[in-house]
Amino acid sequence: MVSEQASPRSRHFASAGIWVLAALIVGYALVFGGYIATIVAFALIYGVFVSGLNIFMGLTAQVSFGQSAFAAIGGYTSAVLTTTYEWAPLPGMLAGIVFALLFALVIGFPTLRLKGHYLAMATLAIGLITYEIAVEWESVTQGYMGISGIPPLGIGPFEAISDRQILATLSVIVVIVAFAVTRIRKSRLGRAFAAVAGSEEAAGALGINVARYKLTSFLLAAGLASIAGSLFVHVVGYVSPEVFGMHMVVLAFTMVYIGGLGTVAGPVIGALIVSLLPELFRGMRDSQDLAYGITLILILIYAPKGLAGLAQSFDARRGK
Amino acid sequence: MFHMRNQFFAGMVSVLAMAGAAQAEDIYKIGISAGLTGYAATVDRAWSDGVQTAVDVLNAKGGIMGRKLEVVVEDNRSNPQEAVTVYRKMVSSDGVNIFSSGCVSAGNAAAAPMVAKSEIPMILCSILPKQERDVVWAFTTLPPAGFEIEKRFEYLRDKTQIRKVGVLHDPTPYALLQKDVAEKVAEKFGIEVVAVEAYKQDDADLSVQLSKMQAAGAGAVMKIGLGGTTLTAAKNLKQLGSDMLLLTSLEDLAVFKPVAEVLGDKFFFVASPSQVFEAYPDGPLKQAIGQFLQPWREKFGDRDPNWASRGWDSIMLTAAAIEKGQSFEGPAVRENLEKITGFQGTTGTYDFAPDKHQGISTNPFVVAQIIDGQVRIAQ
Repeated sequence: MVSEQASPRSRHFASAGIWVLAALIVGYALVFGGYIATIVAFALIYGVFVSGLNIFMGLTAQVSFGQSAFAAIGGYTSAVLTTTYEWAPLPGMLAGIVFALLFALVIGFPTLRLKGHYLAMATLAIGLITYEIAVEWESVTQGYMGISGIPPLGIGPFEAISDRQILATLSVIVVIVAFAVTRIRKSRLGRAFAAVAGSEEAAGALGINVARYKLTSFLLAAGLASIAGSLFVHVVGYVSPEVFGMHMVVLAFTMVYIGGLGTVAGPVIGALIVSLLPELFRGMRDSQDLAYGITLILILIYAPKGLAGLAQSFDARRGK
Repeated sequence: MFHMRNQFFAGMVSVLAMAGAAQAEDIYKIGISAGLTGYAATVDRAWSDGVQTAVDVLNAKGGIMGRKLEVVVEDNRSNPQEAVTVYRKMVSSDGVNIFSSGCVSAGNAAAAPMVAKSEIPMILCSILPKQERDVVWAFTTLPPAGFEIEKRFEYLRDKTQIRKVGVLHDPTPYALLQKDVAEKVAEKFGIEVVAVEAYKQDDADLSVQLSKMQAAGAGAVMKIGLGGTTLTAAKNLKQLGSDMLLLTSLEDLAVFKPVAEVLGDKFFFVASPSQVFEAYPDGPLKQAIGQFLQPWREKFGDRDPNWASRGWDSIMLTAAAIEKGQSFEGPAVRENLEKITGFQGTTGTYDFAPDKHQGISTNPFVVAQIIDGQVRIAQ
């Protein structure tokens, strides 16, 4: 019996399947609308957020529990500028990115000297401090009262108001982000990230400026988190500190591990699956959380590298 | 024969489908977005049970204008993002006709634009959304923030010599509103607010805030906020050997009982009429509470009726608006809610108007104490 060599096109069959699954979920929401559209919209926003986290954690092998801080900066900057100063959403979002990057730059220099658990604890503190600022700085954030009346996403005369318009806009943004992450992975920058991920000492010995690349990775993650924060406030039209609490961090980590750390499709499919799973079990009422938890555990047992990682393993076996 | 059997089955299917559609049409659905888990769980579970009790009572009488009611409850986990999702589910998948939602203000505010766009009225346990266009569709059973404050100031003015107080509040929207009112109206009662201190709901020690108040000369602490921090404050006052009175805002009686054991007669709290039912003077309000308390106690025994009674009110207000307009349509119900005046609820009298969606206009509260395990109106 002669083993059949898979053609190059069929070598990525399973990985492509992940993208097809994501497209089918978004397509279903686009066609049928309803509350599934709301869930998928939130999932796509998380897709952007988790893609940033994936650059820092997956491509560069660093840990950050504080990405919610940058989402909060982006979200609140957009909310304040569009409601108080009547800016358009896009400039507001850009201002949010600038603030988030400046903040990431200032805290990144000292923080990224830390490694492992120490880095994790330092970033966790950044997230918690930002949350407290959002609660306490009432003159700007209005504390727990929150800021309402935030205009919808839009450029010029176009405004994404209906579910389908919002979903279409978010889908385009997610595709752009995924494309950018793909390009980063394949670039010199991505190879430097991979070297840092493999061994910081070895990367340093090869002439890679480890501190600079870690900071760059942190800035990219912060920028994407800021975009996600801005998208959230424009889609919901309201922001309060609870949105950017520990719940966001836990959810993002679940998404990145369920989807597949270090892959491009992982954050997107992870965000979609983790967002949709509770809805599948909603009818189970009090057992909903139990069923959700068991499903997540089963996925991690049978796909320890996440769904995208599982697909890659499948493709690798076919390609042998 | 075969053809006839097919026709028979087709006919049966059509009849059943039509009956199902008619039945679905006949049911008036009430959606509840409630924080069944998370920080609002105690309050929102009570609210939700109050709504269900009212629905059971109305259904036992044949529903509203012959139409049965059904409750759809979804857990928003006390989180605004989750609230948007569950509101959306109830609008598009469950097809609810009205919302009778819980006390998570941020969740209700986040979902309000979408609910208003769907032209579905909402009667809330929480404060109203801030945007005027959203308030058009939102009504609240919550008494104005000043009521709880004024009642405590009145008590201090009329029954004590204390003229200096400290305000201790958590950062929730309703607590912040009350804090602002306290600072604004204190002078009217001849009272000076000498310290304003904040705390977090999960703080395990409030000694610093209480010491500052004592140092500022406060004779009483006006605590604003829910949860276990009331017991923390009581223990801290005792540890400090302080003589300051503790006057807290409305809360579940189960929380107050251990506080009373610590502070005894130095502990006072704002109580709703349903919490002091037996001691409350006779009148239409007591009668309205009695109508609620009978089915409530049959089902839940001596569980605190306060938030549940407002959930009950939200359904009775809905029934009144539907019967007034003889219509179940969202816009008609909304319009007729605005026309409700002099409606006797369990928390007070509701008077709504197009520019007034916070209905309770007379202060129904009393200041109460727990003496020997019994809730009494403070003398």
